[in-house]
Amino acid sequence: MKLFKRKNKDDLYLSDKQPLNFAGKINLSLIYIVLISWSIVIIWPLYQMVVSAFNGRQGQYLRLNDVFEFSLEHFHYLFSETLYLTWVKNTIIIAVTTAVLTLIIVSFTGYAYSRYRFKGRKASLMAIMLIQTIPSFAGITAYFTIHSIVSDLVPMFSRQMMLILIYTGGSIASNTFILKGYIDSISPELDDAAKIDGCSNLQIYRLIIMPIARPMLAIIALWSFIGPFMDYLLPRVLLTSPQSYTLAAGLFTLINDFRTINQPAFAAGGLLTAIPIVILFISLRKQLVSGLAQGSVKG
Amino acid sequence: MKYDEFLYDEIGNEYERKDLYLLQLAQLYAKLENTSNKSEIKAEIKKHKQSKDKHDYNLKLKAYKEEERDFYKKLRSEIKDFSNSLDKSISPKEKDLKKQLFKAEKKENFYIDYTDLTYDAEFEYKKSKLIVEQIPEIIEFIESGRSDLEKLKEDKKDIDENNENQIKAEIEKYKTEQKQILDNEISRIKEMRRNNRISKKAEKNEIGELKIKYKQALKLKSFDSKTRTNRENIKNKEYEIKTGLKQKIWVLKSDIADMKSKTPVETHQSVPLIGYLTFLLPGLGQIINKQNIKGLFFFILSLFIYMIAIPYGLGYGNYQGDGISGLITLAEGGMRLDKSLIFMIEGIIAMFLLILALLFIYISFKDVKKVEKNRIRGIRPNNWFETNKKIKDEGFPYMVSSPALFVIIFTVLVPITTTLLLSLTGMDPKHQSKFSWVGIDNYKLIALGKGLAGEVFWHIFLWTIIWTIVATSLAIVLGFFLALLVNNERIRGKTFFRSIFILPWAVPAFISIMFFSIMFSSTGALTEIIEFITGKAIEVKSNPTLTRVVLILLQGWLGSSYVFLLSTGVLQAIPEDLYEAADIDGATSWQRIRRITLPIVLFQTAPLLVGQYTFNFNNFSIIYLFNGGGPFNTSKYGNLAGSSDLLISYIYKLTMDNQYQAIGAAITAIISLGLMFFAFLGYRNSKAFKEERL
Repeated sequence: MKLFKRKNKDDLYLSDKQPLNFAGKINLSLIYIVLISWSIVIIWPLYQMVVSAFNGRQGQYLRLNDVFEFSLEHFHYLFSETLYLTWVKNTIIIAVTTAVLTLIIVSFTGYAYSRYRFKGRKASLMAIMLIQTIPSFAGITAYFTIHSIVSDLVPMFSRQMMLILIYTGGSIASNTFILKGYIDSISPELDDAAKIDGCSNLQIYRLIIMPIARPMLAIIALWSFIGPFMDYLLPRVLLTSPQSYTLAAGLFTLINDFRTINQPAFAAGGLLTAIPIVILFISLRKQLVSGLAQGSVKG
Repeated sequence: MKYDEFLYDEIGNEYERKDLYLLQLAQLYAKLENTSNKSEIKAEIKKHKQSKDKHDYNLKLKAYKEEERDFYKKLRSEIKDFSNSLDKSISPKEKDLKKQLFKAEKKENFYIDYTDLTYDAEFEYKKSKLIVEQIPEIIEFIESGRSDLEKLKEDKKDIDENNENQIKAEIEKYKTEQKQILDNEISRIKEMRRNNRISKKAEKNEIGELKIKYKQALKLKSFDSKTRTNRENIKNKEYEIKTGLKQKIWVLKSDIADMKSKTPVETHQSVPLIGYLTFLLPGLGQIINKQNIKGLFFFILSLFIYMIAIPYGLGYGNYQGDGISGLITLAEGGMRLDKSLIFMIEGIIAMFLLILALLFIYISFKDVKKVEKNRIRGIRPNNWFETNKKIKDEGFPYMVSSPALFVIIFTVLVPITTTLLLSLTGMDPKHQSKFSWVGIDNYKLIALGKGLAGEVFWHIFLWTIIWTIVATSLAIVLGFFLALLVNNERIRGKTFFRSIFILPWAVPAFISIMFFSIMFSSTGALTEIIEFITGKAIEVKSNPTLTRVVLILLQGWLGSSYVFLLSTGVLQAIPEDLYEAADIDGATSWQRIRRITLPIVLFQTAPLLVGQYTFNFNNFSIIYLFNGGGPFNTSKYGNLAGSSDLLISYIYKLTMDNQYQAIGAAITAIISLGLMFFAFLGYRNSKAFKEERL
């Protein structure tokens, strides 16, 4: 029994890890140094952006400035002199519509591909996989003309709607794949039980599959919502007037176009745009990543 | 053999033929197969066929048909009389059922004499029998339901108002009592919580339970009121009648369908001809097959084919183009305002519409032919009840995917086809509105590195490959390394580091890139810092090598975050006992990483990492937003591209800024095919695709 007897309170080593030797301690401090310096590498540019957005002593061009004077003038400029709010509104409209459309279409195709064995299934699945590798800019030359052809038939059809359709069409393939993988993991016995109870196909979709697949649907909706915020190329090609720009295209005019250049205002706008997205990403990072991983493992 | 001696149903059961004429014919054909004296039998067959109209059986059949016609004529007027004699007050549903019953009774009586003559009569007889058996029950169900309902409504009038008020007061009293009890209980539980006897969660659950109990007690009590009970009963009864009726009719219909599949059909037809004769007009064949509702739906497809697809393909209703022929002429010799590109795209749209039209024609043709073939074998065509069920079952995946198909055709397939065709034309700054086919000239220029745009292709291609490999690998190595470090069990502040390390991923990339671009400009913060450290004014953005290095580093900064996130997730999921086992076997920490961590992480994230390579291959934003593809070196890259341009930004400049659309399209086609090829290799070998479940 002596073996287990407490000797001295200070000698008590409570961790189940081995105590560190000298080399281990050096190793550990090296790790800390690497981690902290990388944190600085990440934080510093972002910190610069925040500071310049609030620094009243910045002119049209940003420079490294020792003098800091808190001011909201760049935000004021952003709201009064530029079309920032219009861009936000445009982006949100496009993003929401894209997310809703994608969700409706993809939830059906994902369900159909997961649960039904129909003619042409394997071939079309292969086609879907190949289509999703073609970047959406491949049709760049045609988008413009297709828009003028359709808007001749339907005058309501605006360039932004064209953009929404392109985003939706581009995301159908990969999202169908991701959702199919997820629905595959839901036991088909649930469907069978529902069928025996007299559910129609549509009822199984609505009452059984969709509620269970909700986490993945949320991720798909989120990704399709964020997509238009991130994309620069297509709005740049398709949207011609600043009134119709999305955030990415609009903010770029603040650093690129010599008529409207105002770098601190860009920093302010970038900050305002980034904050909600950063909060969204950090709070949902596990779900977002698991969604991606799911799709790929099944793919 | 043209006729079989027997008839078959869907599952292959044999049935005797009732048509004696056909039976004899079939027997003759059978003899023909087995005999050496063919000519004699052939003559016999010919004779048999010639005497078709005089054959005993056919004469009987003709008489039967005439009688049937008379019967129907009579039946129609009888039904009219019957429906007039019906009570006006009953519901239309019931009236309809009664009429059906009346009709079925008459039919049963008529057809019973002919069941041995032909399967059609047998079918009608059995059908009527089923109806006669089941409809009275349905009518009774409706009537009893109605009388119950009326009784309930009658009861409503008898409810004593005073009594009701009394009960209402009673309920109110009961409610306050229960409320009192509830409040007491809740305060008791809160008291328990205050004394720390139960946990917060338990408190919440208890209170929730009590509230539910309280609500249930009130609801139960409320049924003391006769008005309330009566209202509830009426609601239930109405629902019962509605669903019960639906279900009973469904049962009747499935019984009929079941019986139908066991009753064969006989026909003189021996080759499926209708399908071939009517394939041009979907819907017609179905109607000839007596599948009227199905035919109607196919007629709608016909409308699409003849009102939309074909006129559009011929050039009617086009925006400017000329349908399919516009695809060939490309507006050559057209008016001054005619644009070749529009002609081309409308031609492609017309092509897709026509493909759809052909598909519809094919489906309809197949459908008609199948029904015919089945009928020759003896299988009765499906009625609408069965077709509808089948469409809902088997057609479901097609119906729900059709919107996706529509969107993909117009936003993906048409544009991509356009690009593909455009690469075979000579669209350049001098030929913007009118251009013509030039074959594979553009591809030749690119392959040989000639011409204005082709010269720089290989330079850019090389840089794109280097960029893709180096930038992506850097990000992957960095991200994995950092994840490994943070995951060390002795490190504190994991959440802090993890939150910081995902910032580059969370901040929209275009914002970070634009801001870095500002900081690297001639007056920017980073330029000044570099100058401060090295003592020389170095302008990154005007030095090709430096720009490239900075771009790669920047992508490392941006991309490592994502890899960090992915590998952290995988690392956390690796079971601890693997490492313990390795420790016991005496593995060093490097061996643990190499043999356990690395394989697991790589295996799980491989597809996503491959995705990172393709993403960077097409990473337009970082190149375009950082330095616009520059710095520009006209002696090496000409006027069209800068030294940091990737293929994708080069394509953008060619098509958007400089209007060399054809060359741009050719490059797009090349890289798309390349990407598709690699993706195909990857997917073909992936386990998921080989598995049956896919």
